[in-house]
Amino acid sequence: MDFTLFDAEEQAIRQARLLAEKLASAAPECSAEFEALVDSFKRSYREQRRLVRVSDRLQAQVGAANQELERRRQEAETALERLREAQEMIVQAEKLASLGALVAGVAHEINTPVGIAVSCASHLSDATAELKGKVEAGALGRADFNRYLATAADTTALILSNAGRAAELINSFKQIAVDRASAERRRFPLRSTIQETLTSLQPKLRPGHHTVEVTCPADLEVDGYPGAVSQILTNLVINSLTHAFAEGQAGTMSIAASRPDPDTVQLVYRDDGRGIPPDHLTQIFEPFFTTRRGQGGSGLGLHIVHNLVAGPLKGTITVESLAGSGTTFTVTFPRRAPDA
Amino acid sequence: MDSLNIAATGRTPDVHFDFASGVLRMRGESYPDDVATFFGPIFSALRAYLAEPDKTPIRFDMELVYFNSSSAKALMNIFQMLETVAEGGRDVAIDWYYEPDDDSMMELGEDFSEDLKAVAFTMKARPAHKTSPG
Repeated sequence: MDFTLFDAEEQAIRQARLLAEKLASAAPECSAEFEALVDSFKRSYREQRRLVRVSDRLQAQVGAANQELERRRQEAETALERLREAQEMIVQAEKLASLGALVAGVAHEINTPVGIAVSCASHLSDATAELKGKVEAGALGRADFNRYLATAADTTALILSNAGRAAELINSFKQIAVDRASAERRRFPLRSTIQETLTSLQPKLRPGHHTVEVTCPADLEVDGYPGAVSQILTNLVINSLTHAFAEGQAGTMSIAASRPDPDTVQLVYRDDGRGIPPDHLTQIFEPFFTTRRGQGGSGLGLHIVHNLVAGPLKGTITVESLAGSGTTFTVTFPRRAPDA
Repeated sequence: MDSLNIAATGRTPDVHFDFASGVLRMRGESYPDDVATFFGPIFSALRAYLAEPDKTPIRFDMELVYFNSSSAKALMNIFQMLETVAEGGRDVAIDWYYEPDDDSMMELGEDFSEDLKAVAFTMKARPAHKTSPG
């Protein structure tokens, strides 16, 4: 293909050469000056060609650099996205793990009344077999029969009360477990959700003789996510139990629910532990922030609290703490959760 | 004469020369790897078109948003060819489109227009089209 970018310039130079020949015979005294002019045009033309080449090359380099930059930016963004996904997965896993802990707590609580009922039933069964043997042998005395009656009365009363207690526990846990697992929205009385949550925490509270005081109006009904509320309280209590109290110290925690205005609920959670150092206070809600790494601390407990408050509850959480005088978390959220 | 259509690539613009109606358009970005390969066919077609006795008015829509130096030189050559036929009495208009905030493209247009006397050269500030084939 016959194409040159500088066709016009080449042509001008050819014409100049022809003109130079004419000039050599017509006006020889002008030849030298004319040649000088043509030379300067040629230099200028070569310069122009060089500049175009240099400029194109620079453009190509800038273009390549920009492409590389864009590629790296995308790589970084992909990496960040993966990291976020991984973080989200870990948070989900932690939520599941806490559901597992809840189930373990439930099992532990129910174990006691069921155990008592089983041993009472077993005792009654033994006594009945003994009675039956005596009847068959025709050796039943009045005293034997009275003793059996007393045993039957005692054991059945214990079986009844303990089986009733187990049924009661199962009922309250059932609701809590369903709420946690399903994240479903419903109207619920706040006080019973708080109390059921605390019952599920008894296995953790009892050994250290910790107590939790609850203040909540009986008629305070919330339209929202009971599972989230329960999880928030559980994580706050466990956070206190993990960090706030010295070995052997029986802690006192309190949960005070109120309605600062008809559409708003405020939960104030307080412990009387050692408090959170000021330089940690700004970080406690960050994922993976923990002072117990390697000792079972995941650094996710309060992050999940924060997520649940900001997410399903559409509320806010603040923390106040003074070294030595405990920590207060204040959760404020609409009484009727806004539609998602 | 058949129109000339070249689809845009990452480094070359969309070319649509509708010779029958006299509307010629280049749109997109121009920094070809090999300037002769890209502009060679454009020049051949344009040279053949301008050599025809046809006097249909020509409108050239310059809608490049970016070009490198050799493309600028090629563009200047195209404009000179158009200037020559305009001097010969044919109606030729060049519309130079640039994005309103692209000062250097505007200045380049003004610079190009200084070499053109017979061609009606118009600056048009307009948000750029997305480059697309066809």
